[in-house]
Amino acid sequence: MSTALRLRSLLESGIHRIGELEIQADASNICYILSHMADARLANTPSFGGLEVHHGPADARDLSTYAEDGTYRFTKGQTNLKRGWVMRLENEEDLRLALDQFYPACLGLFFAWQDGTLEIETLREKLDRQTGMYRFARTISDAGAQKLVQEVCGPAHSCAKKILWKIDPNTLLDDSEASRYNGIVGDVSAAEAIPLLCREACNHFVAECRKAAKAEVK
Amino acid sequence: MEWRRLILDSGHPLRKRPRRWNGNYPPCIPAEPCQLRRMSIAAKPSSALLIVGHGSTENPDSSTPYFEHADEIRRRRLFAEVHCCFWKEEPSMREAFYLIDSDEIYVVPDFISEGYFTQEVIPRELQLTGPTTKIRGKTFHYCLPVGVHRSMTDLILKRAAEVAPGIDPATTTLIITGHGTGLNQNSTKAIRDQVDLIAASGAGYAAVVDAYMEEQPFIAAWNEIASTPNVVVVPFFISDGLHSFQDIPVLLGIESEVGAAASQREIFRHNPHFIRGKTLYYTSAIGTERLMADVILDQISDFDQLHKAV
Repeated sequence: MSTALRLRSLLESGIHRIGELEIQADASNICYILSHMADARLANTPSFGGLEVHHGPADARDLSTYAEDGTYRFTKGQTNLKRGWVMRLENEEDLRLALDQFYPACLGLFFAWQDGTLEIETLREKLDRQTGMYRFARTISDAGAQKLVQEVCGPAHSCAKKILWKIDPNTLLDDSEASRYNGIVGDVSAAEAIPLLCREACNHFVAECRKAAKAEVK
Repeated sequence: MEWRRLILDSGHPLRKRPRRWNGNYPPCIPAEPCQLRRMSIAAKPSSALLIVGHGSTENPDSSTPYFEHADEIRRRRLFAEVHCCFWKEEPSMREAFYLIDSDEIYVVPDFISEGYFTQEVIPRELQLTGPTTKIRGKTFHYCLPVGVHRSMTDLILKRAAEVAPGIDPATTTLIITGHGTGLNQNSTKAIRDQVDLIAASGAGYAAVVDAYMEEQPFIAAWNEIASTPNVVVVPFFISDGLHSFQDIPVLLGIESEVGAAASQREIFRHNPHFIRGKTLYYTSAIGTERLMADVILDQISDFDQLHKAV
């Protein structure tokens, strides 16, 4: 079954949240309405309550590139998605395209996770593949990496992703708010949301590992 | 190194494809509106296209061209799906596998030259072992990077003509500029090839030369390299990122210090620049050209012809 059809099936089962996005059907039930979750009530009114209306998925990348304060959202899991817009999407294909711009590969990763086919990469595997100036990141100690998870990841540090990876095959992440986080933003149940998944440490985390590794040497 | 041996043994175009223009694809003359000659590509409604870029965690403009190329190809409805993936942005190359429904995938590196990334990093990240690789039931076809395709010649000439309308090529030096590094000769080969092609094309430029940020001949000495009153500089990069938009303008002397990102300024709208006794025209990066989407399709067409993968 295609990703779009599986998405449709999920929506029919009551899923309506992914990251900071709320997915609704429009009043006439002929298209999907995507908005920031905090704008969900306005997005559900006939005139969209003054929200800026976007037709089709084409503007999804622009909407997700900068935060409200103009800063670059260098990882898409950041919980600083801009508000004030609504996107009308005619079908599941367009909805899927939009979601993959807001949260790259979020659906495919979730379905593979559900199917038990998601290949998860340890931090050591990720760091060992780095090139150029980031090669030094691999020298970070386990203790340094564990500390960094608690200083960089999770909702306390504006990341909405559920971490799936370990430090290495035998070393789990230490218990913390970051390692326990379920990847679901807001007060909704697991039955209502697609969690954002972190199958490999992001490039921001790698960059932080490099800094921490340098500090360890000093 | 294992990858290099495998592609050599398998006859992959990275090693065996002729690099030089063979005369069957004449470039246009820059003084005229360019009618770019393109190969047609049959629709592949059961296949996916995966465009691979470098990306950046710091510069939001870095990945813009890749998404624009994907949007343009998506509009033409040639593929069942079109996706992008990156080394330094999301989705990563490793995540790309989960993006794609189709069983057949054409992978095109949206890179300007062959080298470390196209020959080692991308194959490793996507787990490719040759020109065509089966991975968990999906078939991946690995095409050459866009920058080495012969149709890039037309794009350079088109861009040079657009930035300096009405300027006689006979009084103009065309400089194609790139990063350059002593670490990898392939990084400059694509530029040197384009210089040769344009010089032999009859485009009429008084001179066509290459110049680099970090190796000789240095772009900073552009006014010494060029003996003509007019100079057109085309940056051979995919995006208007740090180098083409911030570093090179300083080296050319049209900016005094590194400025803000491309999306926040309008540097290319201030041509021409009258400096160092010459008239200088500076274009945006060649990869930002909308027709780069066609070069991606050309590489797929070449792959099919060479490997009969249709």
